[in-house]
Amino acid sequence: MKLKVAIVGGGPAAFYVASRLLSRIPDAPGSPLLRVHLFDRLWAPHGLVRYGVAPDHPEVKNCTNKFDQVAADPRFRFFGNVNVGTRPPEGMEQTVQLPWSEIKRNYSHLVFATGCTMPALHSALAGSPWCLPALSFVHWYTQHPSAPPAPPLEAIPHVSLIGNGNVALDIARILLTSPAVLEKYDVPQPVLDVLARSAVQHVSIIARRGPLQAAFTAKELRELTNLPDAAMAPIPPALLAPPPGVTPTRQQSRILTLLAQGSRNPFGSTRKTWALEFFKSPTGLAPPAEGETLPELLLTHTALDEHGRAVPAGPAPPLRTALVVPALGFRAEPTTPFFDPALGHLRTAAGRVLGANGRPVKSVYAAGWAATGARGVLATTMMDAYGVADTVLADATAAEEGPIAMDADSGPHGRHSVLLNNAQKGVDVAEEFRMNPTPANDWAPELAGVIFDYEDWKRVDAEEVRLGLALGKERERMGWREADAFWRRPNPARPWASTQSTEAQFG
Amino acid sequence: MHSSPSVRHGNITRPEPGTGIKIHFKDAKGTLLKTIEANEGDDLLSIAHEHDIDLEGACEGSVACSTCHVILPPEYYDLLPEPDDDENDMLDMAFALTDTSRLGCQVKLTRELDGMTATLPSATRNMFVDGG
Repeated sequence: MKLKVAIVGGGPAAFYVASRLLSRIPDAPGSPLLRVHLFDRLWAPHGLVRYGVAPDHPEVKNCTNKFDQVAADPRFRFFGNVNVGTRPPEGMEQTVQLPWSEIKRNYSHLVFATGCTMPALHSALAGSPWCLPALSFVHWYTQHPSAPPAPPLEAIPHVSLIGNGNVALDIARILLTSPAVLEKYDVPQPVLDVLARSAVQHVSIIARRGPLQAAFTAKELRELTNLPDAAMAPIPPALLAPPPGVTPTRQQSRILTLLAQGSRNPFGSTRKTWALEFFKSPTGLAPPAEGETLPELLLTHTALDEHGRAVPAGPAPPLRTALVVPALGFRAEPTTPFFDPALGHLRTAAGRVLGANGRPVKSVYAAGWAATGARGVLATTMMDAYGVADTVLADATAAEEGPIAMDADSGPHGRHSVLLNNAQKGVDVAEEFRMNPTPANDWAPELAGVIFDYEDWKRVDAEEVRLGLALGKERERMGWREADAFWRRPNPARPWASTQSTEAQFG
Repeated sequence: MHSSPSVRHGNITRPEPGTGIKIHFKDAKGTLLKTIEANEGDDLLSIAHEHDIDLEGACEGSVACSTCHVILPPEYYDLLPEPDDDENDMLDMAFALTDTSRLGCQVKLTRELDGMTATLPSATRNMFVDGG
């Protein structure tokens, strides 16, 4: 058995798949060959842990200690700033390109851990100059390499968030928290500067369905209700009563209780306020009327139909607002191989990627949001990734032992074995994605350009923490320019690097 | 500058054999994984790591995830102080939650918990079997 695994993506799903593979096959004489190579188009690893987790949630980032342990395994390598595919993603022209053909030729197994990196947009709002997708907002405050411009908060008294997930609540919390509280966290100085000038006084969080359908978690809601400088508009009690015949789940009940309690600060006692606007949906964004400076968000009331979907239920008063931020979830990138437009992510079964014919593609897998869509917390992705790694190992073991006639119900893997047998028939393998069962053990791509290995990252990490210490904060993070310059500094491990010229467009 | 407590291997002092609080760890099927001995004040996550039991602790005991979820027998669960709001918020998101579920990092051992069994929940795979 030879497992030379390419994982495309460098977020939690990628690291948890790697972790499981490396721990299940010990690095010991007599063990099967195992190599795990992670390719991340971002120069820094850890995906959403670095570029998604809100800065005032530093505890969530403790999982990177485990990722560091994974990376210390000699069978593991990280290739940061490498985009697998044919063209660099928009805004990330600095990435080094590696074609899929190289992955297929040089690896026995492939795991997509490419996540969901595209914001879901709202058709009634797209293209408006007053509309900024939540992802751009998050990428701004996390200094993502795509470098979206800062929102002009000094001219924004009112923000409308569309969506009822944790991303909407994260953004509301950042907008309603004093920079004096945020400055000790991993918030870049330029971001703090903009927040310090912020004119935001009210944040409306608009959802087309009700409290029972809200996707946010109790933790995030509790944080918002406990903000020291803001208060929540009371919610009409009728909205918080479950419909007849509906028994709320534990999580729903706890959220209803929190909503009924309201915020710690009474509404009206603070300068900053926020409101949850349930059962409303945007229908458009009208430019400022004559003599006005702010546009109007046009809204309709909604109600749930018999399938639990939101349907229009008559016009609602428009909302004068300065910025509309849709936070409606995320999709995988449509150019990812095996992307299914109907799902918004790759089509998989038990972690195996399915080809156009609906059958598993041999030796090709997907984990995390690339496979499941954008939902769940870190623990969800971890469980998924472990399951996918177990499937990779089970398939490899089964391939070694040859096809086994196994009853679907009584076999050790249940449903798994049915799919496996389909995969082993060979006829359904997606020809365009045939992996190489016997690749060279230690081949790694020789890429020209700025490639961050894990040691490079750890040097940046230490430098960021050092810079942060001087400022009395968790870290001062580098953007691409700083990281690029840092990489080019004289480095005994890479004597040739500092002599390379910086490409003009990034210099 | 992570200020949250770390529970990496080696923070725990093992008691003299025969003198500690006995805790049994079982998997979801009820199979005994290990019986270990620990000191008063140790938490279940730390002792699981000390003894190489496969209990995750992604946030390292800072009550920001649900990966150290364990299930306790009712008679022992009732001996513990009630979970606080923060712990309940995380339990909300735990897989296979039961009425006697706790976060391992929040269960501090006392003498009266001697002989307790902590069961690791099943790692359900249902969520991705059909790929959404």
